[in-house]
Amino acid sequence: MTNRTGKPAPVTDASPIIQIREVVKTFKNAAGEFTVLKRVNLDIYPGQFVSIVGKSGSGKSTLLNMITGIDHPTSGQVVIGGTDIYKMTESRRSLWRGRNLGIIFQFFQLMPMLTLLENVMLPMDYVNHGGFDERPERAMDLLKLVGLEQFAHKLPLAVSTGQQQSAAIARALATDAPLLVADEPTGNLDSRSAEHIFDLFEQLAAQGKTIVMVTHDPSLTLRTSRNVIISDGELIDETVARALSLLTHPQMMAVTRRAERVSFPPLRTIIRQGEHVDTFYMIIHGEVDVVLQGRKKEDAVVARLTAGDFFGEIELMRGGRSIANVRAGPDGPVELLSLPRDEFLRVVRESPLTEETLGRIVQHRLKENQSADRRRKLRLFG
Amino acid sequence: MDTPSTPLVEMQDVVKVYSTAAGDFAALRGVSLRVQPGEFLGIIGKSGAGKSTLLNMISGVDDLTGGRVTVRADGREVDVHALDENDLALWRGQTMGVIYQSFQLLPMLTLVENITLPMDLCGLYQPRQSRQRALELLELVELEEHANKLPAFISGGQQQRVAIARALANDPAILIADEPTGSLDSVTADHIFDVFRRLVEEQGKTIIMVTHDNSLIPRFTRHLQLADGEIVSEGTLTITGAGRRSR
Amino acid sequence: MRTALVVLSIAVGVFSIGVISGAYAIISNDMSASYAANAPSNIELRMADFDESVLETVRNTNGIAEAEARRVFSIRVRAPGTNRWTALDLVAFDDFEANRVNLLIPVEGQGAPGKRQVVLERDALTRVDVEVGGLLEFELPDGSIKSMPMVGVVQDTAMGAGDFLAAPYAYITTSTLQYLHEPQDFNRIYATVSDGGDDILHIRDLGAGLKDRLEKGGAYVVRSRFSETHTHPLADTTNAILGILMALGILIVFLSSSLIANTLAALLQQHTRHIGIIKLVGGRGRQVLAMYLALIMAFGALALLVAVPLGGQGAYGLAAFIAGELNFTLLGYRIVPTALLIQVLVGLLVPLIAGLVPVINGSRVTVLKAISGEAARDEGGRPKVEGRVSRFDRFQTRVTVALARRGIHIPRPLVISLRNTFRRRGRLILTLFTLTMGGAIFIAVFNVRVTLHDYIGAISRYFVSDVSLDFEAPYRLSEMEQAVMKVEGVTRVEGWQFVSGELLDETGMVLENLNVFAPPAKSELIEPILVAGRWIEPGDVRKFAVSEAIFKYYPDLQPGDRLKIRVLGKDETWEVIGIFKFVDREGLLAYAPYEYVSRLTNYANRAFMFRLVTVQHDRAYQDAKAEELDAVLRERGFKLLSAEAGSASLDTAVESLDTLVVFLLIMAVLTATVGSMGLTGTMGMNVLERTREIGITRAIGATDRIIMLTVMVEGMLIGAISWGLGAVLSVPFTMLLARIVSLAVFETPIDIVYTLNGYVLWLGLVLALSALASVIPARNAARLTIREVLAYE
Repeated sequence: MTNRTGKPAPVTDASPIIQIREVVKTFKNAAGEFTVLKRVNLDIYPGQFVSIVGKSGSGKSTLLNMITGIDHPTSGQVVIGGTDIYKMTESRRSLWRGRNLGIIFQFFQLMPMLTLLENVMLPMDYVNHGGFDERPERAMDLLKLVGLEQFAHKLPLAVSTGQQQSAAIARALATDAPLLVADEPTGNLDSRSAEHIFDLFEQLAAQGKTIVMVTHDPSLTLRTSRNVIISDGELIDETVARALSLLTHPQMMAVTRRAERVSFPPLRTIIRQGEHVDTFYMIIHGEVDVVLQGRKKEDAVVARLTAGDFFGEIELMRGGRSIANVRAGPDGPVELLSLPRDEFLRVVRESPLTEETLGRIVQHRLKENQSADRRRKLRLFG
Repeated sequence: MDTPSTPLVEMQDVVKVYSTAAGDFAALRGVSLRVQPGEFLGIIGKSGAGKSTLLNMISGVDDLTGGRVTVRADGREVDVHALDENDLALWRGQTMGVIYQSFQLLPMLTLVENITLPMDLCGLYQPRQSRQRALELLELVELEEHANKLPAFISGGQQQRVAIARALANDPAILIADEPTGSLDSVTADHIFDVFRRLVEEQGKTIIMVTHDNSLIPRFTRHLQLADGEIVSEGTLTITGAGRRSR
Repeated sequence: MRTALVVLSIAVGVFSIGVISGAYAIISNDMSASYAANAPSNIELRMADFDESVLETVRNTNGIAEAEARRVFSIRVRAPGTNRWTALDLVAFDDFEANRVNLLIPVEGQGAPGKRQVVLERDALTRVDVEVGGLLEFELPDGSIKSMPMVGVVQDTAMGAGDFLAAPYAYITTSTLQYLHEPQDFNRIYATVSDGGDDILHIRDLGAGLKDRLEKGGAYVVRSRFSETHTHPLADTTNAILGILMALGILIVFLSSSLIANTLAALLQQHTRHIGIIKLVGGRGRQVLAMYLALIMAFGALALLVAVPLGGQGAYGLAAFIAGELNFTLLGYRIVPTALLIQVLVGLLVPLIAGLVPVINGSRVTVLKAISGEAARDEGGRPKVEGRVSRFDRFQTRVTVALARRGIHIPRPLVISLRNTFRRRGRLILTLFTLTMGGAIFIAVFNVRVTLHDYIGAISRYFVSDVSLDFEAPYRLSEMEQAVMKVEGVTRVEGWQFVSGELLDETGMVLENLNVFAPPAKSELIEPILVAGRWIEPGDVRKFAVSEAIFKYYPDLQPGDRLKIRVLGKDETWEVIGIFKFVDREGLLAYAPYEYVSRLTNYANRAFMFRLVTVQHDRAYQDAKAEELDAVLRERGFKLLSAEAGSASLDTAVESLDTLVVFLLIMAVLTATVGSMGLTGTMGMNVLERTREIGITRAIGATDRIIMLTVMVEGMLIGAISWGLGAVLSVPFTMLLARIVSLAVFETPIDIVYTLNGYVLWLGLVLALSALASVIPARNAARLTIREVLAYE
């Protein structure tokens, strides 16, 4: 059930490159007001490859526009690389954007009257990046990087859409910005071109670029280091999303709202064996040990759960008392999201898929425990 | 006279190739498809899979490169791509209602005028009749109190409902919808599906809709998966689509 | 905003054609009507002094309806306390109540003077600073000064009508003549014919007969003039000028129609999606076509609503201005039906024609194309609506690449401006057309102005002297030389003679008056422009050089031919030795050597006219010297008629030419305005169409300054190109315009002179205009936020 890439870059090591604080975006038109973003908070750290997913109309593009400075928040703050980007004039922000982030659009948005090479040089001209005479060479290097050197002097209309997007990526890299922002970059490409473009992104991520990408293609989110889900203008808790990934977005949202954050110091017991359990836990970060208490009071760690894992579901689904001790790991405090029994059961009822999967997991875990029990001849999991 | 065995819409080996400066690109590679009266058919596919092209082939909005599209509606069998442009426009106006993701209402006409327009253009109804009918259609989509507003003064979901009412103006047998809920939030989208469901169940309309959203599959009476210009799977109501997401 | 632009474009065309056609109709009607309304004389006889009995003879002549006798003489006048003398022609009436010919229209104060009172013609007010009731001082030939109150202002539309350069008139009664030491006799006859007033041949016939009769009776007719009742003497000139304006008006309609076509094309493009929707829901091409044609008609109607009233006002304003200049009265404000009809036709048909192509193209839009913004979301590999790479695009990139290979790199923002300029080639061509036309006319007007001035300059070579002195009596050359050389600054003096005669046809009938000037053959005060033959020589006997005006009567005349003329009452045959260029309007002019003419007149070594040269040649110096000479000579008892600066008469001519040039310039500015309107529209449309691209540049780092610069460079590039084209096109325009104007004003084609001024001025102006025309779109462009832009998909 855990996500194979479910490891956000270390939270404590660096300060975030993007800080979104309490951002609200309300559109007004003749039909009335419509709030697209509802007090969104998000931190993105250097080197992360973040995908933002959500249905059409969920506000994902608006959220991206908040990061690129393309749109204005109605209230709240966006700080990127230490700069509060909405304290600048539109014109200054444009220059700042040219220097600090590369944007890749769904529709490529190359200047149709410029050759690919000229398109790549354009941002350098705008922000005065590098010496004037070095620009052609640098642009050519970037085109080589994306495999387009032989098309350098073609106009965008003369090359395929995949090639156009590659050129757009080269352009986004032109000013050596640390941050790349992409809005459905493969949304308008056939699957082969999309694959090529995505390879390029992975390559860039590996080189240490911070990438934020909006997509509605679930298969792509698997390949990013972090996945942010937005639903009707609110961010779904990433822990919830990872733990209960089969819920629909509105269901995840409901869980996000009801869940509470709790934290436990190292080795503190969270659920005592034999105790009545009425809470479902999801791990935000830190580790949790599942411990079986032996008859001789010796503890045996049967499982170590990490971020994105959950526990308490067995008891809640089958009814009954805890079959093991669950405690915070020894190496640091653990942060958890707790969901009351009623809420949990309601969610499970509403999502047959989740119920089915959880059922399988329960079986699996029970089996695991039983075998451990058998091995250690201990009575396991009441 | 449309018995279930005679398909309302029939596509036979439809091929569509776009030639671009960068070479030819096949958007549809031999698609065959039959749609029976009263179906609510969903065509699911990712961006670039060829969904909209497929709809354009049925409505005759775009030429096909190969194959044949036959529509048997209103007692008339039509080879869509054999009509000239004017006949096609008239036939389409009478036989098909088309609904797009971005509503495509005319901004300078009021809602009731937007709905009256197709009737005025096709001449199936008298002017007085057509206004009356437009009001009835607005009532059907529960927007009668906004009849004399301009599209800009109502919300997106309401605009889409007007677009549906407009699509129904000439009482066509077939509705064609291209991501009709694509730019709507989930509550509004539900409302639109309600309208579609009622049209199929109560009025016996046939609806063909494309979307990229797998989670909509339960809404259709039948669905097709389209990928890279080919139909890859077909099914009635299932949850396999959602299952794929569990990886 | 685009609707406004279309309506405005139509309105400009309708307005200008309305103004000009309206003014044309009003002027051509009112000019002759107002002229005819005041009973203009058909026959004017300038005679030696005569009395009542001669007038009676005229009145009793068959075919004469009315005749009046007047005394007209030149006098100098000034406002008391000033020292600025102005020459006036004083006209003495016997009885103002009995005024039947050349009627005076009261303007202000009394319409008729009493004894020792004077009434001024309206025109005189511009030269003499006096108000009704004020005193005027008159200088008599003996130098004494008499003063009379000015009691009224009248308008005399007939007497001075044919002469731009005539002195203004003032009117007194014959009873005042004595007070001014003038004889109580008449010297002019003004008569109207009883019928055939518009038949110049009949009038001329009658006049010749009358003249013969009078001369047989002992009277002496110096000069005769014949004119038709319903033809204003300046009608030809005015019509020619209005013709030019009309041509410009039609041009403006043309230009505005290209503006309309441009804007409609853009409008239709903006409506592409709407058209697609209409077709999608069942609309056929024909229905769409009808819809948009109706829309265009509505635009036209809207434009008419604005432009017709304005055009009517403008037409009347223009007519009033011209009427004021040419001294005739308009019959009152009115709407000219013809002009209205033309306006309605222009307002409805021009947009229809201009809009036909864009509308037909628009109605052919396919549903797919119209909604392909939608489709493009889904289909990879689909070519965008913009189409493929054209050959021209490829050429442009090749040039840049070739330059880059040689190490010349153009900054990419500039490349964008350059390529954007040529992106919408149809639109560019239409814009260039308007702007180029405006520029070409602008430059041409400057050239024409210089050409006219140059010609005046050439004419002035016949008036090289700095001061002209005219005397009542002949004076010996040596005596005069002694007298004037004492005045400081006078370096030279020449005595000229003058005889007035008549040109005769083979049968001895009078064709026209002929003024023969007789400077010394070796005079340096005249630099003739010869068309054929040679200039006069001291030994010439009965030989003369005549002005080009002779071609009117003898089109094939060549040097060596002989002409019949009447001089000093005798019919003679003289040989033409040369033909020279001169302003035809001044009448038939000839030069013969003083050496011969002085013998003919029996005034050898004497002269009535003296021409002087001073050390300085500017107008102010000439004026000062003229005044000084005037005083000095009178003091010494010379019977001086007038002392005038040499360039005085030229300046008047230049003034009236400048009025004409101002007119042309207004038209040029109007065309330039239409041109820059077109450019503004084009730039606006360009920016609107490129909103998405501007958003992209914003997204990749373009600041406000760069975005504005990109747009403005494009606009200025268009301006610069139009300047180049306009500079070339201005050459034929100059030729055409100069020919029309010179034929109208001088009745002869003149040599064209080009000036750099127009070119330089237009370059500056067109660059400024195009910068201005693009600055608003550019600012709008810079203001666009990217979200709006990308929402434009």
